[in-house]
Order: sequence, then structure tokens, then C-alpha cells
Amino acid sequence: MRRALTVARDLLREARARRWVLALFAATTVLLLVVLLGLRLEVVDGALAATRLFGGLLGGKIQAADVALRPLFQGVAYLVFYGGILFGILSCADFAPTLLAPGRIEHLLSLPLRRAELLLGTFLGVEALVLSGATYGGLGLTLIVWAKTGVFGWAPLAAAVLAAIAFSAIYAAMIACAVAVRSAALSAAAGGLLYLLGILASYRRILTPLFTSGGSGGVFRAITAPIPRFATIADQAAAVGAGKVLDPAALGFQLGGTLLFAAALLSAAIALLERKDF
Amino acid sequence: MLAIEARGLEKRYGGRLGCRPLQALAGVELRVERGAAFGFIGPNGAGKTTFVKALLGIVHPTGGAVRLLEGDPQDPRIRARVGYLPERLRLAPAWTPLEVLESVARMKGLAFDRAAALAVLEEVGIAEAARRRVGAFSKGMKQRVGLAAALVGAPELLLLDEPTDGLDPPARVMVRQLLARRLAAGATLFLNSHLLSETERICDRIGVLVGGRVVREGRLEELTAAPREWTVRFAPGAPAAALAAAGFTAREDGAWRIAADSPAALNAAIDRARAAGALLVELAREGKDLEAVLVEAMAPARGEEVAA
Repeated sequence: MRRALTVARDLLREARARRWVLALFAATTVLLLVVLLGLRLEVVDGALAATRLFGGLLGGKIQAADVALRPLFQGVAYLVFYGGILFGILSCADFAPTLLAPGRIEHLLSLPLRRAELLLGTFLGVEALVLSGATYGGLGLTLIVWAKTGVFGWAPLAAAVLAAIAFSAIYAAMIACAVAVRSAALSAAAGGLLYLLGILASYRRILTPLFTSGGSGGVFRAITAPIPRFATIADQAAAVGAGKVLDPAALGFQLGGTLLFAAALLSAAIALLERKDF
Repeated sequence: MLAIEARGLEKRYGGRLGCRPLQALAGVELRVERGAAFGFIGPNGAGKTTFVKALLGIVHPTGGAVRLLEGDPQDPRIRARVGYLPERLRLAPAWTPLEVLESVARMKGLAFDRAAALAVLEEVGIAEAARRRVGAFSKGMKQRVGLAAALVGAPELLLLDEPTDGLDPPARVMVRQLLARRLAAGATLFLNSHLLSETERICDRIGVLVGGRVVREGRLEELTAAPREWTVRFAPGAPAAALAAAGFTAREDGAWRIAADSPAALNAAIDRARAAGALLVELAREGKDLEAVLVEAMAPARGEEVAA
């Protein structure tokens, strides 16, 4: 495990210089600065009296600040969840293919490092990167709103954690693809496809009746059955923002299934890597 | 005590879906004693790099067995005692040489010692670039970083695949001196190179791999010596007819050649020359370089006759 953590640490060190990673962190920073400098929230006696963005008035209804801010936290939760996953797919697609590149992989495998530790370390490093990216955006927005209104919302932070868990399934698929074909583009495509399927799988009860011809409905149900329900998990993050009470059993089932899916794919990737010659 | 032991090592690629399999290693038998400087030579595609990768478990052998430092190479504790420089090393471009060495040290379970790392970088002549990014380095500089990475933790066995590739002549001298120091400190060197002159200068034992098999193996002087042939120089005025009658053959450069199967036969021939009035001034065993050894070793595979 210690060596896997060393691989993860090395990956994070390498990420510091990646243009994609830097660009996405820069974009998040710009967004936070826009909100910090442009958004003005006027709170009087615990009620949100006015909201101004660059001087323009947004809405005029006076409400308790925590209630008035719920839609904002909900929106931020969705943004952090979906944006965090997209950030991961775009910025992390080439980590595994780079580690598996000729000249690099021979060097790594000559070290006292098991192949499973190499993949596990890569997986953990990417997970840490996505969690830190999503947390940076979510926590930044939360702190800005807290500083301006005194209301602290947990939804963006919850969304960051849930995004990292959901991304574990996506990155496991990406890493398995990278081990099989060592292509950053195909790895990103595999991640993107699972992302879309995970959103569709969340609405499979609504979508299945749309497949009327032949066995296409059955095929759709079969394909989406094992796929984690990403939109359902995102809704849970938004529910935190809306101040709703969560069903821990339902959330636990979704997250447990997602982690199981990730573990299965990661195990398949490790089994594939163990058999490969470099 | 063996540093490397390969018994009937085989590696076959492909052969699935009707494709013709490629036999990269066809039963390699090799034993390298600890403390040796072993040079592994062979033509392109002979299987040299595959052999080194099979030693480290980077490729999975399809037959035979291999042991490193009398242990299983799949055991991380064994690999922690080995330093390896791959043929075409690719390093993380964003890292500095110090970061590369730090990563290797941590993987080997060692505490990172910055002063020791700088000393290793100094040894390979790259200390002044210790904090610059590897991505901007020339091929030779990257090769030096790779060599420094292989030296982290003072490994007992150094497996170097073309270590002087991309290095200029002064750097090659530096590498030779560095390897000589490591050998003197007790390390074992396994050098895989197509630069035969480098191999000849560094190694004391040689293995020749042709077609996935070790076809020659032994001490450098044994392989490069022509054991029956001797070059002899006599003082001016030696009687040519008497020397020819004693079995000597004149060479164009004024020296004489004699074939002798044993020291006794050699001394008998020289005694006959002395008896005829010739005065001996120089005696040397005739030798050949590694290139000749390799060409000679490859000839049976090509179905050629080798000139003596």
C-alpha cells in the first residue's frame, strides 16, 4: 500500500505541470473571482434583502437567507458534481497511458512495485486530484457565500465527495481501457460513454417504455442495469442544498453499487495488466 | 554465488489467431557470478532486450526459469536490490532529476537523502541541472538521469541496456569510470550493448546471443584469443629459411607467426629458432576483437564459413 501511495503522490506531482489540469484549476479560480467580486448579497436581520450581480438586481423577494440561498446551493451542487466529473475525464485521461508508455513502464516495473500497486496508485492519485478539484470549486463558492451572508451550505462539499465517488467508476473504466489499448483518446471516450450511460441509467424507468420495437427495451435495461446511477447521486447532492432529509439507505445503496462497479472494473484492469508484456 | 541464473529461458510472442509466433528466446542458459562485469552482445533482434526484461518480469517467459540474486525476480525485495536502465528510457518531463531520484528511492523503500542524490547526480555529471525539468534535457542528459536512477540505493546488480547510447565520448569515459568504481565496490554488472568496443573495455565476461540462444560464453580473453596462434618478433638478421623450417610463417610487418597447441610445442619451436641463431625480442598471443567474435558466432546461423 505504501508503494501505491508513492505512485499516487508522484502522479499528483506530475499533474502540477499538466496544461489541462492547470487550465481547469485556472477556470475554476476565474469563476470564483467573478462570484467574489461581482455578486453582492444584502442580508438584513437574517433575511436576504437583495441580490446583485455586477450591480444588476436579481429578484426582489425578501426571504430568510438560508431559504433564499437553497436554489443557489442546489445549482452549485449540480455544477460541482457534473463539472467535477467532466474535469476528471478531461484532465486525467492521459495519466494511465503515459505511465504505460514504452520506456516509462519498463522503468516502473523494474522497481520493487507490483503491477496491482501501480494501477491502484494511479487510481488513488487521480481520485485525489478530482476530489481536490471539485472541493476547490465547491468549498470556494461555499466560503464566498458564507462570507457574504453568514450562511454555510454543505451541499457543494457533499457534491464534491459524491462526484469523487461517482468518478471512481468512470476512472476505473478509463484505466481498464488504457491498459487494453494505451490511448488517452479512447480512455476519455470510455469515460465519457460511461458518464452518459450513468445519466441515462438514472432515468431507465422513464426511458425504457420509449423502446417499443423488438427487444430493444430489454437490451437497454440489460446494458444500464449494472451502470451506476450518476444523475440519481447528483440529485442527492442537490437535495442537501435544498435542505431535504436524505434517505441514508438509498444513498448508501447507490454509493455502494458505484464503488462495487469501480472495484470490479479495476480488478479487471489489474488482471489484464498482470498478463501483459512490455 | 550467482547474480543471474537463467535455465532454458524461452519467450514466444504471438501465435494466436493464426499468426506465426516469434521465438525471441529459445532456451537461454546463462549463469553470471556475483561481482562479474558481464557483457551481453548479439545482432539486432537477437533477443538481448527481451532477455533483460524477462529477468525483471517485465515480459513473462513462456518457458524455463530465472533467478536474480538467488531469489525470485517477482519478489519486490529482490528488485529493490537491482538497478535497471531501460534501452529507451522515458521520464516524466515535468520532474527534475532530484524528483526522479526521490521517486525511485521511495519506491525502493529508502528514505530520500538529498545530499546522496546530489552526489549520484554529480557522479553522472549532471548535478548542475539537478533542479531543471527533465523535459528540456537532451538525449544524453536524460540518459545520465536514467543512469543515476539505476544507481539509487547502491544496487548489488546493475542491469544496463545500452547505457552509453546518446552519450558523447567524454561522457562514455565517465560512465566507464563510474561502472569501474561500482564493480570495485562489489556490484555485479550486466551490460547489454551493441557498442562492442565499450563492452570490451568494461566487461570481463561475455555472452553472445544469436537467434534467442547463447552461442558463446566465457572470459573476454578466452573469447578474443586465438589460442593456437602466436606472434613472434626476432632481432634483425634472423635466418628466414631456418625459421620457416621450424614452422614459423613470415608476416608482412616483419613479424613471424607460429601455431602451437601447447606451451611445450611453442617453446620447442622457439628453441629451434634460437638454435638456428634467431634472437627472440617479442612474443604475443594473437587475438581478435569482439566484432570478430560476434561475426564468427553469427556465421553458423547464416550458414556461412568463417575465415580463420
